Amino acid sequence: MERFGRRALRTAVAGVAATLLLASCSGEKLAGNDTSEGGAEQITLKVNFFGDMGQEMLKERFEKANPNIKITLNSAEYNVHHEDLQKKLVAGSGAPDVVAIDEGFMVQFKNQSDKFVNLLDQGLGSAESRYLPWKWKASMSSDGKQIGLGTDVGGLAMCYRTDLFKEAGLPTDREAVSALWPTWDKFIETGKTYTAATKKKFIDSGTNLFNPVLGQQPVGFYSEQEQLQMEGGPKVAFDVSMKAIDAGISANLVSFQPGWNQGFTGNKFAVLACPAWMLGHIQQTAPSTKGKWDIAAIPGGGGNWGGSWWSIPAQTKNAEAAAKFIDFATQPEQQIEVFKTVGNLPSQPALYKDQAVLDFKHEFMSNAPTGQIFAKTAESLQPQYLGKKNGKTREGVEAVITQVQQGKVKTTEAWPKAVAAAEKAANS
Amino acid sequence: MSLTQVRPSPPAAPRHSASGGKAKQWWYRFDTRTMPYFLIAPFFVLFAIFGLFPLIFNAVVSLRHWRIDEPDKTGWAGAENFTRLFSDGDFWNALLNTFGIFILSTVPQLLLALILANLLNHKLRATVFWRVAVLLPYVTPVAASTLLFAMFFQTDSGMANWFLSLVGFGEEEPLNWRAEKWSSWIAIATMVNWKWIGYNALLYLSAMQAIPRDVYEAAAVDGAGPQRQLWQITVPMIQPVVIFTVVLSTIGGLQLFNEPMLFDENPALASGGSDHQWQTIAQLIYRVGWRDLNLGYAAAMSWALFLIILVVAAINALLTRRLGGGK
Repeated sequence: MERFGRRALRTAVAGVAATLLLASCSGEKLAGNDTSEGGAEQITLKVNFFGDMGQEMLKERFEKANPNIKITLNSAEYNVHHEDLQKKLVAGSGAPDVVAIDEGFMVQFKNQSDKFVNLLDQGLGSAESRYLPWKWKASMSSDGKQIGLGTDVGGLAMCYRTDLFKEAGLPTDREAVSALWPTWDKFIETGKTYTAATKKKFIDSGTNLFNPVLGQQPVGFYSEQEQLQMEGGPKVAFDVSMKAIDAGISANLVSFQPGWNQGFTGNKFAVLACPAWMLGHIQQTAPSTKGKWDIAAIPGGGGNWGGSWWSIPAQTKNAEAAAKFIDFATQPEQQIEVFKTVGNLPSQPALYKDQAVLDFKHEFMSNAPTGQIFAKTAESLQPQYLGKKNGKTREGVEAVITQVQQGKVKTTEAWPKAVAAAEKAANS
Repeated sequence: MSLTQVRPSPPAAPRHSASGGKAKQWWYRFDTRTMPYFLIAPFFVLFAIFGLFPLIFNAVVSLRHWRIDEPDKTGWAGAENFTRLFSDGDFWNALLNTFGIFILSTVPQLLLALILANLLNHKLRATVFWRVAVLLPYVTPVAASTLLFAMFFQTDSGMANWFLSLVGFGEEEPLNWRAEKWSSWIAIATMVNWKWIGYNALLYLSAMQAIPRDVYEAAAVDGAGPQRQLWQITVPMIQPVVIFTVVLSTIGGLQLFNEPMLFDENPALASGGSDHQWQTIAQLIYRVGWRDLNLGYAAAMSWALFLIILVVAAINALLTRRLGGGK
């Protein structure tokens, strides 16, 4: 027994010694990192975003105006981007200095307003006058902290391929195309005509009808009391997407994924519901379709889908520089430039009357006057309350639409599954 | 063991150098008795930090409420996370998927590896070339090969559907590999098989080469054909290696993650298909832990998976021992 005890003790001692050895090694490494400071104070801001927010132009202009601040850009997939932010906010470290937040996740994050820098404390309260009142309010927490400065809103229009429309014998002129589809039913009829004439599919995916139609409803997935309301707006939007799938006009692609990207150049679909920010996606994924797109009105009229804010996580050590950046990024000059190069529609009403915006013709989209088109949609925007679990809920319902498109579920039996998926997300 | 044994102590030191002798003796005893523990300690320390500690910590977490998105919800959950597993349809679905893919990948994998090893064990031209060639898939990074396979199994432009169309299947309506359980399982099992067959074949080959030639010659004299030689001589004689590969591929198969993850059209969702057709348990754990941010429940799932692997690996090892153990 005694022998065994001594042996165990020795083993333990050896273990501790080895641990100390390891610890001392890593300690040395850490210490070495701290001592690199020379000359003028150089600040590096980490900026995380998703999609295309005109970040390259912002970086270039901002670094030029502030030589002591460097910007590093990181982009990620939409869901990953927001979930990663959530993890790092809870972990208390690792979050970027500046982060983009989409409206689908804004409610979730503004409920944790203590984890963000209150922009009113950074002297950005005066920015309120620039914004659409609801955009300013949407990023304000219940206790009156402002956690984000708005970038864009997702006013809706319908993008269409003039070359493919011509092939199908459909009109190609903006006004004439808009007149084809005052309602979603008429839109689906047009799709049937197109598919019959060309043997090709008309829309990219049922989910990309569901989202814009949902955006046109007064109430989305959740009421302002955070109650799931599937029988209202979601049901209307779901029915439209089922009708389109039944009509056989959907290419059944999964949006924002490789197959969808290839669909642009492979002429797999002829129309695409276009919130203003979608223009950036089209230019990025299918540069070869330049000049083949044009923009018409959205069926049903109005509606919003997406739109973002720039926010500053409270963990940042460079709150002042970060505030400087988002103030700079949301100035009218920059917002107009983002609108011109990417397409994102500013959330500042003064710009809808700005001559530079109104006169702008989007070269990629057959010189469509995107300023006039989207400014008109923005004025009639009805903001929708998006619940805390909005992102997950949408993902669940989209998965059911995908199942229908894969032929796993019949359109007539899909609705109960969608409700179940939404309830699961709401209770997760 | 022999290291720790004490050799006969040296003859008693002469009296006049008592102190120096004592130090020497102490050093000698330290060197033979204690030093081995120091030398072996790094492994155990690393294991304790990266193996044992996470295991125990995971067990503790699995007994607690821990949600990242709702920091207020903490405290002991008791067995709640585990009882929830039994009524969780997602968990059972993932379990079914994991076992389905596991069987579709492990069985053909080991059989084909055995046949391949048997072929390589014959006299061939350019032996080294063949042996290196079968190992190439193993060297390829999973992420790279899986992305290629994801394209291979695409509905509209994938090569898999092109091959099928050559024999007259799916010319009208190409097969959507991701839509159904069976097709997605086959696709994922194919990726796993492709990667591991060569590796297992080389393990079998090295064991086969240790079998003395005269055993085969004697069997041939007794009239045993190649088929019989393989199953009655080769397999029993390489049995330890077979058990090793069975256990290893059981562990790997039940923890399958990369392939199903990257097979998804949107890998970020970790959903394993629109209706979780091919979501494995490892994927579900990732999803519950890092997307739903429910760490307690994810930890309970991990522990359940750990126990399942232990049981299945043990059963498989026993079965294999029986299989090869003659008659």
